[in-house]
Amino acid sequence: MQKESRAYKELGVQRNLGLPKESYTLKESGLQKFGKIFKTFNRGGLLLFFFFFFLALFPSLFAPYSPSERFIPYEAPSEAHLLGTNDIGNDILSELVYGTRISLMVGFASACISTVIGLSIGLLAGYFRGWTAEVLMGFTDVVLLLPKLPLIIILGAFLRPSVWILILVLGLLSWESLARIVRAKTLQLRESGYVKSAQCIGFSSFHIMCTDIIPNLVHVILPKFMLATASAMISEASLSFLGLGDPSLKSWGIMLSFAFSRGGFIRDMWWWYLPPGLCITFCVLAVALLGFGFEPKTGVAKKEVVKLQ
Amino acid sequence: MGLKIEKLSKRYGKGLFSRETELFRDVSFKLEAGKTFGLTGPSGTGKSTLGKIIVGLEKPSQGDVFYKGSSIFELRGSEKKVFRRKVQMMFQDPLDAFNPRKKIERSLLDILSLLKIPGSKGPDKIRLMLKTVGLNEEVLLRFPAQLSGGQLQRLALGRILLLEPAFIILDEPTSALDVSVQAQILQLLKKVQAREKLGYLLISHDEAVVRFMADYCGKLEHGSLSLA
Amino acid sequence: MNSLLDVKKLKVGFEGAKPVNVISEVSFSIQKGENLALVGESGCGKSIIAHAILRLLAPEARIEGSILFKGRELLKLSEKEMAKLRGNELAIIFQNASHALNPVYSIGRQLAEPLRIHQKSGKTDATKKVLKALAQLGFSSPEKYLKFYPSWGSGGMNQRFLIASSTILEPELLIADEPSKGLDPARIKEVERELWVLGKEAKSSLLLISHDLGFVRRLADKIAVLYSGEIVELAKTSVFFKQPRHPYSQGLLGSLPENGFVPIPGLAPALCESPSGCRFHPRCPFQKEKCLREHPELKAREERAVRCFLWA
Repeated sequence: MQKESRAYKELGVQRNLGLPKESYTLKESGLQKFGKIFKTFNRGGLLLFFFFFFLALFPSLFAPYSPSERFIPYEAPSEAHLLGTNDIGNDILSELVYGTRISLMVGFASACISTVIGLSIGLLAGYFRGWTAEVLMGFTDVVLLLPKLPLIIILGAFLRPSVWILILVLGLLSWESLARIVRAKTLQLRESGYVKSAQCIGFSSFHIMCTDIIPNLVHVILPKFMLATASAMISEASLSFLGLGDPSLKSWGIMLSFAFSRGGFIRDMWWWYLPPGLCITFCVLAVALLGFGFEPKTGVAKKEVVKLQ
Repeated sequence: MGLKIEKLSKRYGKGLFSRETELFRDVSFKLEAGKTFGLTGPSGTGKSTLGKIIVGLEKPSQGDVFYKGSSIFELRGSEKKVFRRKVQMMFQDPLDAFNPRKKIERSLLDILSLLKIPGSKGPDKIRLMLKTVGLNEEVLLRFPAQLSGGQLQRLALGRILLLEPAFIILDEPTSALDVSVQAQILQLLKKVQAREKLGYLLISHDEAVVRFMADYCGKLEHGSLSLA
Repeated sequence: MNSLLDVKKLKVGFEGAKPVNVISEVSFSIQKGENLALVGESGCGKSIIAHAILRLLAPEARIEGSILFKGRELLKLSEKEMAKLRGNELAIIFQNASHALNPVYSIGRQLAEPLRIHQKSGKTDATKKVLKALAQLGFSSPEKYLKFYPSWGSGGMNQRFLIASSTILEPELLIADEPSKGLDPARIKEVERELWVLGKEAKSSLLLISHDLGFVRRLADKIAVLYSGEIVELAKTSVFFKQPRHPYSQGLLGSLPENGFVPIPGLAPALCESPSGCRFHPRCPFQKEKCLREHPELKAREERAVRCFLWA
């Protein structure tokens, strides 16, 4: 955790600095080797994520054409159109690049909503206990029991298709697990000496929650936030594929849906349906890897150094 | 003017499937300014819970605590705020008593802003406090994990002193510390007590510590307090 | 050569941009059946020595010197050979008993585990040995405890189970890392009795790491006082408590309750910033000018060794 790694730095202890090895050192254990491989995966996730992030920020730099520009429909990949064109003659590569923004936006916006709700409910329930907790956690359990996908499909069918409604629905229906985790951790933290002393000293509950509890929850919230983003992106793609998306904003899911309904599959135009699928997969992978990277790392070495202090 | 503890009882765990268990019953004693009351007894008898009730962190099942003649459980608003500051508690594990993500400086400055002490006077007050507890100014820039148990326990006392309390509940203040550091902390507690006329409630399972520190003492055993 | 454990000029450091030396030239030996105590404040490197002997230190650790166990160099053994040795001939009791036992397995199963792994003994054979070990530790009806779970017992009881699991293979050297920390006085007594019985009956040697001087006094034959990563005094326990020679040892004894809690002034230095000259000089009541400049050697005379210029 943070405090350990700081103590670690303070002592100037770092790994592998190429010091003479005539003195004896322990061999790497299997777990550490695994850790190293895992770390490279994390780096890969970071690179991949930044790649998608830049696509989303500056699509015009990467896309050869505007996504609404029309060419000859159903064209196979060529030099002019690297991934061909679709049924109404839009350049598929450009559509793909512009779709990044929508997919990422849906993912992050709904994860933000679910994190804010989950964090506040979990925090309040854990900190105040008593009937507040009973009510809040009862509500959480009810939401937890709702069959999500059917509900979203029904909502999607009744409400007019819009990205904003989709974001709201996804966000409002995916906060319960975070609320439960936050509550459990808060219950533990509120018994810690520093929260007790802060209560003794007379800090307000709000102050204690903001400065003593939330900062110590970060390593729980961040990975969960990234996973929520990833799952929202998948849900968005599935819903769009089912035709419940917003056809005016072409996300990857909608591209897939169109490729399916407008002859991409029948004509065997892999350049139409494969790239959006791959983009979804890799983007979700990048976000998930990033999330794993935020998880607290444990190690014998750090524990040892803290002891020295 | 002291702190009067009258017939406190604490019972636990009345649930659907669990029977109620009594922790202690009818505990009465008095804390006086400048004196130390030593509370001993085996672990699990509720010594710490008693301390937490007195500072208002927990509620008793029965009984009352009087501060300056009025019950602390009936205090409201600004009176409650004043009481909170006047009676403080020091915990067993010094590392656990500080937020691991805050530098010591931040922890202390938060207290000054709570007390509404103007920024210009803050540094002097902290410097004076550090001098009292025998610490160097460089500890301010550290995180709790970078300090030793002795240093942290000194800081825990210093943090309490900033609030200018009248009574301090010491919950096993030295049982997580080494023998030599224990001696330092106990001497420091005595020194501060003499200067500030503080009243202590010392909770400890170490009878030698209690004998050394306390002016009068009691033993909490089998749910009741016997005064000695 | 006939000593059980012979630690010679052990140096431990951690690699880094600013390499730090935490243990400097510590030498001591334990004879068969002898109890040695390492005493010192937390942060003086006691646990690091224990972990160095068991080779449980982090990969960053740089260990120099030699650790001979029954004539074998522990620092040159492979990880596999070391694993065979650990628990079998060399065992450790960790600080927190309730955390060192696995809460989901019964005591009987946990105690039989080392037997099955190290001696490949069968189930009935193992159970027999577990029962014997429990009986030896003073449990009146050991059968009852085979199906016992750690959460059912008190801290003192768990400490005894832990001792039983560490000693069931009758190791020749048992390392106890702060076995009395955080326990009630009554439970400390229990643990103390177990360790004492162990030394008497199983003829195990004990390396006791503790800051509790009273506890050490009753158990150890020899005592080594550590300060800032080096031994400052090494003596027989009876001699040591009668007349400590090093100013730090004197200060430690003065801090005891029976001597009126007279503290040593100042704070113990962190291991990464030990003072020059004699490491104790900033806190020493007898410091001379020489102490500021020169580093005293550990000088042996009359069955004791002291690292102080006053002693020479």
